[in-house]
Amino acid sequence: MMKTPAIALNTFREAIRNKVLYSLLFFAVVVIVASLAFGALSVHEEVRLTTDLGFAGMSAFLVLIATFLGVNLVYKELERKTVYTLLPKPIHRYQFVLGKFFGLALTLLVLLALMCGVLLLVLHLQGAALEPALAMLVALIFLEVLVVTAVAVFFSSFSTPLLSGLFTVGVFLLGRSVPDIRAVAAKLDQPGLPLLLRGVARVVPNLRYFYVTGAEIDGQQVAISGTFVDWGYVGLASGYAALYLAVVLLLAMALFSRRDLI
Amino acid sequence: MHSSALQPAVQSAVQPVGQPVGQPVGQPAAGSAAESEGGTPALRTHQLAKTYALGFFRKKVRAIRDVSLRVERGEIFGLLGPNGAGKTTTLKVLMGLVRPTSGEAEVLGRPVGDLVAKGRLGYLPESPYFYDYLTGRELLVFVAELFGLPRRESRRRADALLEQVGLQRAAQLALRRYSKGMLQRVGLAQALINDPELVVLDEPLSGLDPIGRKQIRELIAQLGARGKTVVFSSHILSDVELLAQRAAILVGGRTVDSGALDHLVQARILSTEVLIDRPAPVLLQALAGGAYAAEAVGETVRVVVPEGEDVGRLVDLVRRHGGALLALTPRRESLEDVVVRRATDDNGAGAAAPLPARDAQPMGA
Repeated sequence: MMKTPAIALNTFREAIRNKVLYSLLFFAVVVIVASLAFGALSVHEEVRLTTDLGFAGMSAFLVLIATFLGVNLVYKELERKTVYTLLPKPIHRYQFVLGKFFGLALTLLVLLALMCGVLLLVLHLQGAALEPALAMLVALIFLEVLVVTAVAVFFSSFSTPLLSGLFTVGVFLLGRSVPDIRAVAAKLDQPGLPLLLRGVARVVPNLRYFYVTGAEIDGQQVAISGTFVDWGYVGLASGYAALYLAVVLLLAMALFSRRDLI
Repeated sequence: MHSSALQPAVQSAVQPVGQPVGQPVGQPAAGSAAESEGGTPALRTHQLAKTYALGFFRKKVRAIRDVSLRVERGEIFGLLGPNGAGKTTTLKVLMGLVRPTSGEAEVLGRPVGDLVAKGRLGYLPESPYFYDYLTGRELLVFVAELFGLPRRESRRRADALLEQVGLQRAAQLALRRYSKGMLQRVGLAQALINDPELVVLDEPLSGLDPIGRKQIRELIAQLGARGKTVVFSSHILSDVELLAQRAAILVGGRTVDSGALDHLVQARILSTEVLIDRPAPVLLQALAGGAYAAEAVGETVRVVVPEGEDVGRLVDLVRRHGGALLALTPRRESLEDVVVRRATDDNGAGAAAPLPARDAQPMGA
């Protein structure tokens, strides 16, 4: 079954040739300038600031790129009519959706790796000791990006890029606020609204599992550079991500399979 | 263009690998799916209909309402009709891109969308768009991989096909730099990468300059000569007349006629044109008094004998009164006449009116 990987590699090639990697340059400049600026302002806290800002920035960048590329992923094939050449070949439609998703995931993984390289270089120049916990952080960032990508692909399997983009950003914002939504729902007395809020909190992905900055653990606000997560936690988060991905991608594949490609 | 190299190049370039692609027509491999399908047509639809629900309000648009086709294996078949007749929708249904609202459709004896049938099929969409960031060669290799071909074999076939369609010099050029004619040729190459037994081409000749049209026409004719089944759509009648052995005419989303080209266009002799050189004055008088439309062109008189009239009577008149018979040309109904007549009939009958019994029959039935 080399068909899905072939589609994935083609998607990756498209992203690279369409200069997606230029975003990396932008990221590098932002990280370096920000770390220099904030580093000058915060005596002895340069490393901590660079780490926090760097990883938060990386996460934001990747989520943005995942959303932008994800909502266009299927739509562009339809708009450019390339799908007419592809789908009459001996492939299933689900292979097409999966191939596109994995291609984008690969693109994002490469971007993530390169961004990490930039960030670690800056940290190294600041004289920071690189902690192994950072690897867990990177893994969590990637898991969140994958979930957002799948959500974007899901919406784009039946909607326009603009609407898909709005929906995806909406799901992302709600997903990052799941604990808050639950807290609000618990405090409300009236009927109806709490039920709705709990429903929303259940449907959207709980992205707080992946984005742990600012989360409260044992009554303590934790910073992203803290070593409060272990590999067991990352494993659990991976399981959650895998489950969510599977459900969302299955829905996307089912919707796309029924679609008329006019 | 290396059209003469087509046959040997393909035969050496393309051998079935891994799956039943590219079996010669009529010689199915043992144990393959083709074995039980020898007698089935290459394409068959019966009363196929598709209504799209478009836009936010799901507005209904009937793209095709009754398309019945039967394409036999090994023939070149033209799908003819004016713009908007439903040719592309019919082909999209057959390619599994669009789900029919009702009716039946089969490709190579299998239901639409069947992977085995898709593996033995080549398709060129209308005004093809490809991944413009790929080179011609990369596109062909990528498409070959979708047929499950190993990379080495994919590359070999890509190179052989690029040569056949005369694009070997543009092999490393990004598709965004290709001209329309080059895109059409690379499109044909990608449709042939699996050495398909059925090739479906949607408007393969539209938008090309005369040289491009000639090249693609030659390629189609060569496919036919190699025993491939070729189905192509066109709104240009001369293309169908030049290439196809049989055709179906689509008007308003329905097959209004189908069959061998001579059945479609030669069934009626509309009139016979008789040219008479230096007719005797007596003959001119006789002609003026007769029922024929005659006009003088210099020393020659052109007489049109309408359908149903005996041309022999006019010939007798010429012999009797004097004059040289220059030419006697029956003017047969052209495919164009058929389409125009059918389109007019269809409009006159009203869109929802039932078809005459002859038209409603599936092709070849």
